[in-house]
Amino acid sequence: MAHSEHNDNSMFKITLNLTLAALLSGVIIAIVYYFTAPIAEIQRVRMKEQSMKELVPEATSFTPIEGKEEWYKAEKDGELAAYILHASEKGFDGHVKLFVGVTLDQKLIGYKVLSHKETPGLGDQAFKPKFADQFKGKGYQQLELVKIQEEGKITAITGATITSRAVTNGIKNALIELEKYLNESK
Amino acid sequence: MNLWKEFTKGLIVENPIFRLALSLCPALAVTSNVYNALGMGLTVMFVITCNNISVSFFRNVIHPKVRVPVMVISIATIVTVAMLVLEAFLPVLFKELGIYLSLVVVFAIILARAEVFAAKNKVIPAMMDGLGMGAGFTIGMVTIGGIREVIGNGSFFGYQLLGGWYHPPLVVILAPGGFIVIGFIIGVLNLSEKRKKEKLERAAATAGGNV
Repeated sequence: MAHSEHNDNSMFKITLNLTLAALLSGVIIAIVYYFTAPIAEIQRVRMKEQSMKELVPEATSFTPIEGKEEWYKAEKDGELAAYILHASEKGFDGHVKLFVGVTLDQKLIGYKVLSHKETPGLGDQAFKPKFADQFKGKGYQQLELVKIQEEGKITAITGATITSRAVTNGIKNALIELEKYLNESK
Repeated sequence: MNLWKEFTKGLIVENPIFRLALSLCPALAVTSNVYNALGMGLTVMFVITCNNISVSFFRNVIHPKVRVPVMVISIATIVTVAMLVLEAFLPVLFKELGIYLSLVVVFAIILARAEVFAAKNKVIPAMMDGLGMGAGFTIGMVTIGGIREVIGNGSFFGYQLLGGWYHPPLVVILAPGGFIVIGFIIGVLNLSEKRKKEKLERAAATAGGNV
């Protein structure tokens, strides 16, 4: 397709040039996607399972709860051990998505972040132990966010109040929803 | 050798961030810690090198009137491939870099090197230019990221350096901190260059005075 200087400007040649470039690009992407897509899917599932395992280490299997999106029963040798809830709440930038581990008597085990766009080094401290440990063992009635440390309440991270609130409210709503669900199914 | 020169010029003399002042957007956005800065730098290095090779390889076939669209298609293809590979093999990094990854397509430095260098040179020099520019970009990113992480978070590469007594200024982690840090680095580089020039001039002047 080497071009000469003379009839170089014909619309046909220019179009053909672009078309071939786009076609080649499409073919390359399709081939790569064909090979990477299954691996990426496996990785996604593995990462999800890993965060569930971290929440409830003693569980041997996770079965989805019917009628609830991304809710799971953590089972140990076939017996119900804990619930894993999916929580989503608007944060500082986009939604914060969490996996929340809950015991059978509806107290918090902890939470793991699935995806977020909070400020690195600032908002993302809400997913580190120092903040996250405050939630352990609490029910939704005790999930109240305060700026100055107070016994039995959640202390917000300095400079990341919005993220702290998003996490607290997201978990609170998930817990309330769980109680409603359990009462209904009784 | 000449090839070596094509490589090293991107490191400091024509450093993309500090000297050419291109692609400052990612230099601000993803440098709040070293890990992200390094990941972004290496991704850009990969994309710029592949793109330089591809543009240089096809330079006699590409019609001059549509060269920019064709270059953009080439960049977009390489970025998409890089994203697919990262998603499959390094999902954690993929999650961290998030939306910035697709923005690599429009990084000025990549198109600039394709247009200025790769479209006019053979494949091997174009590759060296890409590697050098990519390495220079990575060095710039890591420098900014390192300074911001140490001052703004008291840590380096995730390891806590400064203890609990240190209350980091939040502004360094946020976007304004990026501007400030880049400004200071460019300032220091310009100052050192000025000093060097003055020294040369003074040396020339004294030499001249003897005549």
